[in-house]
Amino acid sequence: MNKPLLARVILTAWALALSPVALSDLPPNNRLDLSEFRGKVVILDFWASWCVPCRRSFPWLNAMNAKYSGDGLVIIGVNLDQEPQEAADFLEEFPARFQIRYDPDGILAKQFDVRAMPSSYVLGRDGQTRAQHLGFKVRRQDEYEAAIVAALQEEIME
Amino acid sequence: MSRDENRSISAALAAATFTLLGSAVPVPVDAQEESAWEFNTSLLYYGEGDDRVKDYSVSAIARRMFVDDRYLTLGLTVDGLTGATPSGAIRQDVPQTFTRPSGNGAYTIPAGELPLDDTFKDTRAAFTAGWQQPVGETSLINVGVSASREYDYTHLGVNAKVARDFNRRNTTLSAGIAFSMDSLDPVGGSPTPLTPMLDVGDTSNRRGDEDKDVLDVVVGITQVVSRNLVVQANYSYSNSDGYLTDPYKVLSLVDGTTGDTLPRTLTPGVEGPSHQYLFESRPDDRTKHSVYGQAKYYMNGRVLDVSYRYMSDDWEIDSHTIDLRYRVPFGAERYLEPHVRFYTQTEAEFYMLSIPDSEPLPGFASNDYRLGDFDAITLGVKYGWKTRNDNEMSLRVEGYRQTGSVPGNQIIGNQATRDNYPDLDAIIVQFGYRF
Amino acid sequence: MNRTIGLAVLSLLFGAGCSSMGVEPWERDVLAKDEMQLTTDEIEAATDDHIYFSKEASSGGRGFGGGGCGCN
Repeated sequence: MNKPLLARVILTAWALALSPVALSDLPPNNRLDLSEFRGKVVILDFWASWCVPCRRSFPWLNAMNAKYSGDGLVIIGVNLDQEPQEAADFLEEFPARFQIRYDPDGILAKQFDVRAMPSSYVLGRDGQTRAQHLGFKVRRQDEYEAAIVAALQEEIME
Repeated sequence: MSRDENRSISAALAAATFTLLGSAVPVPVDAQEESAWEFNTSLLYYGEGDDRVKDYSVSAIARRMFVDDRYLTLGLTVDGLTGATPSGAIRQDVPQTFTRPSGNGAYTIPAGELPLDDTFKDTRAAFTAGWQQPVGETSLINVGVSASREYDYTHLGVNAKVARDFNRRNTTLSAGIAFSMDSLDPVGGSPTPLTPMLDVGDTSNRRGDEDKDVLDVVVGITQVVSRNLVVQANYSYSNSDGYLTDPYKVLSLVDGTTGDTLPRTLTPGVEGPSHQYLFESRPDDRTKHSVYGQAKYYMNGRVLDVSYRYMSDDWEIDSHTIDLRYRVPFGAERYLEPHVRFYTQTEAEFYMLSIPDSEPLPGFASNDYRLGDFDAITLGVKYGWKTRNDNEMSLRVEGYRQTGSVPGNQIIGNQATRDNYPDLDAIIVQFGYRF
Repeated sequence: MNRTIGLAVLSLLFGAGCSSMGVEPWERDVLAKDEMQLTTDEIEAATDDHIYFSKEASSGGRGFGGGGCGCN
């Protein structure tokens, strides 16, 4: 019962503290400082080469990137592979038109309490989590997209 | 294999499919081709020594994924069986003549040889279909049907399974149920149990068709222990109700002192059995309990798969099975997997080598070696490789040996001088192709 | 009756122990491999079950579900 609340507290504290999270030193991006994305809506998508539904999510993420990056959407694919070559092979087969960061020790994954693979978190322009989905279901793509649109439209409503 | 073995195969395929359909964690699918069918096919040769059973089999399983992890699986197996199987009669120092199960002819076994009935040439087709889909976030359901047909045996079955994940998907609880309705139409009609084998053309002790129902229930738990180790344990209950006897198997009626099979007076001009044989009889109910445990352990590319099963039933048969496989990869494209299996069972309560005429007829009796006291060992190796277009092929060769013994108190007089238990040696060769 | 209680206690202990055992969802790379599935080759397993069922008095036993990548 307290778990979601605890997670929120951690996320808020983390977001407010603006502390950069050091990820492993792998090209091309090795440090993820989410504060650099303030003002943008961020999708943090946790994936790995061995995760079968991730193969379906990549084309969709590319499509979302194409559609909404002009409106301020940033997609970050956080890779959790232990073997960097396997991540590279996956990306060759399923190219990503969005940023990839590497988190082989699962530090970021733990902070976001990832409970299934893949997991996606939609962060609003203030860095707070607005929505999350466990797994990737093709039939719920519209629902996932609606959450992105809602987060993108928030500033306009203010 | 005898009709009963055929029957067992059909039921086994159903049971195997039942246990397997649910265990089919889908083979990872290339996202670009994910609407395509995937196939798992095989060619099998099974051959026993000493002119006994030979089986050639072709199998194919086709699987297609529909949106979001829903799977349709279709399976088909076609078997061709030839060869002879022990009839249950024991060796004698003189030739023995038996009436064929059909009642239409007779065959003679030379002196000193194990009586084998070779009238079994049969083709069987078995079909299965299953549907699997997720339910909610953490559950899975699987439903299926199975059917098989050979000329004297028909099987129909339904099955269903559910599985649910807990503890961040580290723990899975599962439950399954399968129900089969089988019917048997033995060649010549099913014989009244414990009545004598009669002359060629005499079917006065034959009845008609028979039925059998089987209910199977399984509950299990699978647990991820660490990044490299997953274990599973389950309990199974099985109940068979109906005609469980093998209509083609007999026992020799022997002299209570010498142990020799009693001769039979033949009518001049009529072909028939040379000695006295009684058709076997088994109870019409059988309940089995099993517990099973398995572990798969990954060690730097190699995988050790070890499992144990204990079975106990109300026919007083107890068995232990230990199975070990060790997969060793060679590069990314090939592997070698040695395999060893140990099996031991105790005899059924009504298992007996022969029926002595000095005692009242038993209620149930069978000399089917498969209900006897024996140990078995399987030794094999499997070689697998990836083809140029990334499909998988494999070849496995295994040897199976069964060695049994008859309980000392069942051996009467001269029987002690003969080899009473039909030991079994078989070779299994299977080629597989997945694409 | 004692046997039932014993079994119940055992399952509770097993369950309690299991609730903290395991790996994080992103640590299932090895478990996702084909060769780490509980049944690696369904035709081979069906063939073996089939052969041993017809030559021995026992049958089946295998379970299903669990392990693997734990995705979706």
